[in-house]
Amino acid sequence: MANLNIDSVKSRTFDAIVIGSGISGGWAAKELTGNGLKTLVLERGRDVKHVKDYPTTNKYPWEFEHHGQLPVAVTEANPIVSRCYAFGEDSQHFFVKDQEHPYVQKKPFDWIRGYQVGGKSLLWARQTQRWSDFDFEGPARDGFAVDWPIRYKDIAPWYSYVEKFAGIAGNKDGIPELPDGEFLPGYPLNDVEVYFSNHLKKNYKNRHVISARCAHLSKPNQIHLDQGRTQCQNRDLCQRGCPFGGYFSSNASTIPWAERSGNMTLRPFSVVESIIYDEKLGKATGVRVVDTNTKQTTEYYARIIFVNAAAINTNLVLLNSTSNRFPNGFGNDSGVLGKYIAFHNYSAHIGAEYDGLKEWTVDGRSPTGGYIPRFRNVYKQETNFLRGYACGFSGYRFQQHKYDGVGSKLKEGLVKGDLSPWYVGSHMMGETIPKESNYVSLDPKLKDDWGVPLLNISVDYDDNDEKMKKDYIEQLTEMFTSAGFKNIQPSTNHQAPGLDIHEMGGARMGKDPKTSILNEWNQVHACKNVFVTDGACMTSTSCQNPSLTYMAITARAANHAVEELKKGNV
Amino acid sequence: MNRRTVIKNLALVVGGAVLLPSCIRKDGTSYVQLKHIALDSDQQNLVADVADTIIPKTSTPGAKDLHLPAFVLKMLDDCYNKKDQQSFLAGLAAFNDMVKRKYNQSFSDLSAKDREAVLTGIEVDAAKQMHAPKPQGRRMKPQKNAVQDPVAMFYWTIKQQTIFGYTTSQFFMTKEIFYDMVPGRYIVHYPVKKLKLA
Repeated sequence: MANLNIDSVKSRTFDAIVIGSGISGGWAAKELTGNGLKTLVLERGRDVKHVKDYPTTNKYPWEFEHHGQLPVAVTEANPIVSRCYAFGEDSQHFFVKDQEHPYVQKKPFDWIRGYQVGGKSLLWARQTQRWSDFDFEGPARDGFAVDWPIRYKDIAPWYSYVEKFAGIAGNKDGIPELPDGEFLPGYPLNDVEVYFSNHLKKNYKNRHVISARCAHLSKPNQIHLDQGRTQCQNRDLCQRGCPFGGYFSSNASTIPWAERSGNMTLRPFSVVESIIYDEKLGKATGVRVVDTNTKQTTEYYARIIFVNAAAINTNLVLLNSTSNRFPNGFGNDSGVLGKYIAFHNYSAHIGAEYDGLKEWTVDGRSPTGGYIPRFRNVYKQETNFLRGYACGFSGYRFQQHKYDGVGSKLKEGLVKGDLSPWYVGSHMMGETIPKESNYVSLDPKLKDDWGVPLLNISVDYDDNDEKMKKDYIEQLTEMFTSAGFKNIQPSTNHQAPGLDIHEMGGARMGKDPKTSILNEWNQVHACKNVFVTDGACMTSTSCQNPSLTYMAITARAANHAVEELKKGNV
Repeated sequence: MNRRTVIKNLALVVGGAVLLPSCIRKDGTSYVQLKHIALDSDQQNLVADVADTIIPKTSTPGAKDLHLPAFVLKMLDDCYNKKDQQSFLAGLAAFNDMVKRKYNQSFSDLSAKDREAVLTGIEVDAAKQMHAPKPQGRRMKPQKNAVQDPVAMFYWTIKQQTIFGYTTSQFFMTKEIFYDMVPGRYIVHYPVKKLKLA
């Protein structure tokens, strides 16, 4: 029996454990296994194998029961996830349904989740803009949150490292606030986007429209072919999973790569209940896992632990990992764990028409669009609000059909039709300021199906967000007007935080253990063999889509972890 | 067995009796069994006839050839909430009354020409109303904006779903237009002249 026990413990002992297999967990798995560490990757959802488990990927519209529309039974049972733009009849199997993992909304918060191997990396919008020091220096310059313990020079080589492997399409734009990277050929801007780009160049200082950098293989290199991926085929059906591996996901890229190393053990259906802390050793020794099928709890052990459960769930794991040493949550000596949650403000949009360039259009489809890097408060504070916003910007035309009448007239109207004028549209992506009052906490009474407390989520907009939104509408209206766009229609909405799917923070990085959870290498200040490298680590949000930064931070931290292991420091 | 259970079971039997025979039409086309809205076989036939008047057989297939009535019913059953379904049923009854008043016949017994006249008449009337729903884009989503006039609500629901089903049908997307699922290209500055607009 004793021997059996020893064997059992041995079979449950690894060099490293990675909690989560999404965009950052996949990178942790790849880096750790690539450095020879036997790594256990825990995923709370089911396995999703590249291509094989994309059941809708090659379906035509008529092959769906409702030709792509969602039944009322689904939308009424799932008001939260139904608000997500990517949730449809073709992709619903990759989203967590509202009832599957409830949470308590102290204030409205649309928590969009993907519980499966690959997580939300199957579903993301694939936008990959780098941060610059204008972003990392934000909190220190403007006096909010705490200073980032890293700067652009610390992460720049890791941006390059992950970009080369993931495959990022983009152009060298030479804009200091949005540094260039290791790019595959960029997707071109269309005529009206080029027109607006030139208009801004001529009439404004430091305002640009560029082709948004995106994680698509516009022209794959050998390293991408080695992953079994091929060129993006411009299907624009990415949320179904891509049979070509045309865009980067854990499923197409990092997870199979880690698997090929022979060093990865992937365990789906594994909810991490908590991290085990050994007081004598003064470090974490493993994790407690609840099997979602059997509800059995099993302990797994390792020398280092990477927490990549996705920002909010990483907070949940840490808050629920209590011990004599950490009575208020793992590494929470400062009391800031779960606090300073922030997100991106996507609550304004503006559309218009352009009367020119009628003889030009596009052929095929683009996986990306135009992007206006942040131009507000970049070089100095110049408005009555802090920070700023980036903007999406895209132009499009479509064939106009006629729906009048019935019979052969209608049949003809549905096939024929002239091309519309150019329409343009933009949406804001605003930085929000992390605040102590925006927090998540464990509910004292309610528990989920796996015996883990439910999360209370209390996150809201503030006055700074309202001012920024107003400025976005004013600035874009002015820029559209001066460009000669007509029928300009600004619109704002009251979408709840969370629907941006850019929730960040709660276990922020910082220089001072008294005011932050993680150090400059994403190690828990008070327990150096635990690393948090997903959105939870973010000290501030800036306004770029964050996934690329998570990837770079993860690769950097994982390689540091390997070095520290070799030196015997963790 | 208490009274409540008896009533419940009776409702099931009656409901089943109404729904089940309508799964197979006289012409052999099988319809989806409806779960959330009760339409007897006459009512299902009416939906089919309206759909087939909207997209009739010409030199190309019509709604019935493409099994669009079954699709419209499926969408009505699954993609409309209770309130919209009730409005649809009320509109259906009002539509039948209107046709009866005007022609002293049921819609299904009218000539093709009269059927067209009935439907275009509704469109002309609706166009006069400010809030008549207009189909948006070729692939229309079920619209949730309530129309005041029940007849118009009934008609537009069928029209929207018939057009949606038609323009996303295999026939339409392969024979009438070319749905390019895998373009493999994105070319900008492309001359409109070179576009093959059907």
